[in-house]
Amino acid sequence: MMKRSKKRGRLVTGVAALCLLCALIFTGSTAFSASVDLRDFDNQGKKIYEANDATPQIYMSADSGDRNLASFYELRQYPGSPPRIPHEVDLTFSGDETDCLSCHARGGYSQEFGKFVPVTPHPENSLCYQCHAQVLTEEKFVETEWKSIMPPRLGRSFLGGSPPPIPHSLQMRENCISCHTGPGAVVEIRVDHSARGNCRQCHAPAVQTTPLQEFVRKP
Amino acid sequence: MKLNRRRFLKYAAASSAVATAGALFPGVSFGNWQNLTNNSGIISWQKAPCRFCGTGCGVLVGVSDGRAVAVKGDPNCSVNKGLCCMKGYHSVQMLYGKDRITTAKVRKNGEMVEVPIKEALDLVAEKLQETKDKHGKDSVAIYGSGQWTIPDGYVASKLFKGCLGTNNVEANARLCMASAVTGFMTSFGIDEPMGCYEDMDHANVFITWGNNMAEMHPVLFSRMLANRKRRTNVTVIDFATRSTRTSQAADKSILFRPQTDLAVANAICYEIIKNDWVNWNFVNEHVSFHKGKTNIGYGTEDHFAFKDKAESINFEEYKLFLEDYTPEKVEKISGVSARDIKYMAALYGDPSLKVTSFWCMGMNQHTRGTWINNLVYNIHLLVGKISTPGNSPFSLTGQPSACGTVREVGTLTHKLPHGVVMKEHHREMAAEIWDVPVSNIDPKPTYHTVEMFRALDRGDIKFIWIQVTNPMVTMPNLRRYRDGALKDGRFVVVSDVYPTPTTDVADVILPAALWVEQEGMFGNSERRTQHFAEIVKPPGEAMSDTWQIIEVAKRLGFEKQFPWTQDDYIGKIWEEYRKFHAGPKHEMASYKVLKERSGVQWPFVNGKETRWRFNPKYDPACTNGKEFDFYGKKDNRAWIWARPYEPAAESPDSEYNFWLNTGRVIEHWHTGSMTRRIPVLHNAVPSSYVELNPEDAAELGVVNGEMVKIISRRGEVTMPAQIKGRGVPPRGMVFVPFFDESYLINEVTLDAFCPISKQADYKKCAVRLEKA
Amino acid sequence: MPIFSYLAMPKSGAKEVLCADLAALSNCEVIPSDNQEVVVLVTDTPDETTEDKLQKSLNNLQSLQSLSLAFGYDDQEKQ
Repeated sequence: MMKRSKKRGRLVTGVAALCLLCALIFTGSTAFSASVDLRDFDNQGKKIYEANDATPQIYMSADSGDRNLASFYELRQYPGSPPRIPHEVDLTFSGDETDCLSCHARGGYSQEFGKFVPVTPHPENSLCYQCHAQVLTEEKFVETEWKSIMPPRLGRSFLGGSPPPIPHSLQMRENCISCHTGPGAVVEIRVDHSARGNCRQCHAPAVQTTPLQEFVRKP
Repeated sequence: MKLNRRRFLKYAAASSAVATAGALFPGVSFGNWQNLTNNSGIISWQKAPCRFCGTGCGVLVGVSDGRAVAVKGDPNCSVNKGLCCMKGYHSVQMLYGKDRITTAKVRKNGEMVEVPIKEALDLVAEKLQETKDKHGKDSVAIYGSGQWTIPDGYVASKLFKGCLGTNNVEANARLCMASAVTGFMTSFGIDEPMGCYEDMDHANVFITWGNNMAEMHPVLFSRMLANRKRRTNVTVIDFATRSTRTSQAADKSILFRPQTDLAVANAICYEIIKNDWVNWNFVNEHVSFHKGKTNIGYGTEDHFAFKDKAESINFEEYKLFLEDYTPEKVEKISGVSARDIKYMAALYGDPSLKVTSFWCMGMNQHTRGTWINNLVYNIHLLVGKISTPGNSPFSLTGQPSACGTVREVGTLTHKLPHGVVMKEHHREMAAEIWDVPVSNIDPKPTYHTVEMFRALDRGDIKFIWIQVTNPMVTMPNLRRYRDGALKDGRFVVVSDVYPTPTTDVADVILPAALWVEQEGMFGNSERRTQHFAEIVKPPGEAMSDTWQIIEVAKRLGFEKQFPWTQDDYIGKIWEEYRKFHAGPKHEMASYKVLKERSGVQWPFVNGKETRWRFNPKYDPACTNGKEFDFYGKKDNRAWIWARPYEPAAESPDSEYNFWLNTGRVIEHWHTGSMTRRIPVLHNAVPSSYVELNPEDAAELGVVNGEMVKIISRRGEVTMPAQIKGRGVPPRGMVFVPFFDESYLINEVTLDAFCPISKQADYKKCAVRLEKA
Repeated sequence: MPIFSYLAMPKSGAKEVLCADLAALSNCEVIPSDNQEVVVLVTDTPDETTEDKLQKSLNNLQSLQSLSLAFGYDDQEKQ
């Protein structure tokens, strides 16, 4: 998926004198080390580091202004719902990695749409149609009284200039880099310091599903 | 007070307008309304080192109307170059917790009663004098911390060692980096890292030894990642007992069984010698070989005593010693494959790669902490990768002034600001600078931290003054020491900023100034001394720990030794203290220079900071005319030590079948008495938990959030399970963050320690689990 | 020494201008809404004369549609 093996390749050429060891690097670790799946904890935190390493600096700092929050939420029924597919899809597309992910895994400029492509934060889920619906008609079957909740407010820093906390759940949105950097990012939530690579060093998750509680010492 | 009141009114005015707007305009939002920064520009920014870990980030504290309102990274500080972590960015909020201690309290008929601070200080002085007269000088003690400012620790040492004549001066840094100190002393004869953070911009390989830097030293970690991204030839290896964010970020994660880092380090040396990756020019010129005692015990019994004895050996003897540590043999002990051991050895051994090793509590909180420090130095010394940019065995610290106050001022029982109490010329120097008779300074060390609290329990110590630390959460085998502190006839004085389990056992509570509410200095991991001014006023009657000690010293009749006034004491104390370190090996910057700069590295000689010690290109103390000068040791060499693998004090068995490992999370610092009062940090991690391996959890039949009882031979605690959360321990291990006073995990831990450093091991003891 | 807070409504489309205008006045703090055309203004003046001057300056602002008082405090009367 990411350019991991490529990077290792570079390392190995750096250690050419020790070519005997190359095999070790690729064959990986002992049973003891392998007992933990490094992708599978801390909200799949490994994704951020991998994406940070794999995304070129120039891409991260690029900004197209193509997407904004209004259009972002327009595609969603409520904050956090899977967005609808806002463009026509070729009838032959099966909705798997060979077609959707060919653009949405990496981003970049799409000649066809004349825009920069948004990057999915969860490319490991390759059955895209499972959640993302096409739009064949805008007409409703019956009008609805559905009302969405308000999206999280922007700029919820606790102090002037302090890093804002993460206002959304990280489930399915583990990879900060994909939505918050690059030319496909939503302009209002784009960050200009993505190269720091360890997003959660400064940004604490603060998803308030229950009323905010202060720490009170038990007597 | 008037300013504060006015500010409050403005806050009320703003909030009522926001509320009105909310009623008139549904859904209206005011993103930044809480920052009542005066946007006509009155906010002022002043430099300070961060209050939390030993990284020593420079921050700028924004002040409006006399209150700290914001933080930004100090771009002038080379440590962090303008970046902080979430704790640093929100640190000013810790000043304003609702339950801040602002008045003194004294226990009267079992109840804590507020009294004027003068009355409380009178009582402290009276009790101290009375206890000393009745039970002798060694019945009184002071216990401080690596969060003491340098002046705090200096006046504590001067009063207790110089004036009262007792060596009962210890600090929690004993529990945090004593093994790092003994590691430096035994390998190099002089304390503190030879390198500096700039090593990160040169190294090709980073190996983190039991060190979850992504959470514990995040600002340094992201500098490492930035280097990996910018330069194509950087590799990060995480060598640890548990999978963490650091493992996720690393290019390779290697897990070892607890305690077996000793064996792996020796196996790396075995491989280096076997493949002849030894840097012979360096070893022949600059290294000598030694061995010490073995089977050295664990210190779990009272009055435990141990003294190591160094014996010279030759290279052949050292090589023979390593025969027990072939990668294949060590694979069986450690669970690390022989291939991974060879891989790490090859990285250290490749002459074209610059290697930096980082470690902190994993290696220091270790019953063989001194040994494992020695062994990692061995690796760097064999290949000569030391004291040059990028080649750096780097011992990190966890507290803002563990180096500055505890190691440099010497607030440990055997230490003086320069040297040790055992040496006559060191005592003479201290007596002269302190203006006390040399006979005052006792040549015999008394109690190290664990033994000090044992002495309090036994009744050998009857008066203890605890400042800036929370031992009633952090002492291992906690119950014994809490019960001991509560016994009749013990008088406990606690200086702190918030109520904690330690203030709960106090007879006197003194309100302390916190961080930038006082002037002071910290010293970080890379020999950097950092001055901060009093930026905001302390609340109520709170005063600095330094001034509390001075007030008591004056009451005890030591006006001559403590002649300073509240206007100028910090500068005067600094200039007096600085005399101890005169000379090119440890020269400190003047008060004036410290005030101007965002931290200054010592040795500061002729206006120049020393970035790499022992290397004559950078270090003016080198005089031997060679490529390196390890001037700390009498033989002018760095010492390689033959130190064997010995098992932990307590290992899992059929009854207690799990390892218990304890530590921190990025959000909280130490016992959380500060960070839990910062809303954003508390919201992110509101309570502690026990991390389980998913398979162990399945076997136990618990899912996320269900309660698990953790039982050891010493105590038990019941807390919620966390599976696949922040970290994942391997099968057979559980991990518990210790910040939460509601779950006192240290009632479960073991008070075994390294016999050389006397630092306790919080990372290894045996427990069993029950579904609660 | 009065402290007042107001809801300030900008003329259509002039929120940014209004914020800049208000911030340029001394004794004023401005908290703009993120998502609607309304600004909270907090004024804190040392004495009556300054307060009068400020009121005049506010009345003269081109970008300001209306100002409604939300909170008022004046410790002059109590002292």
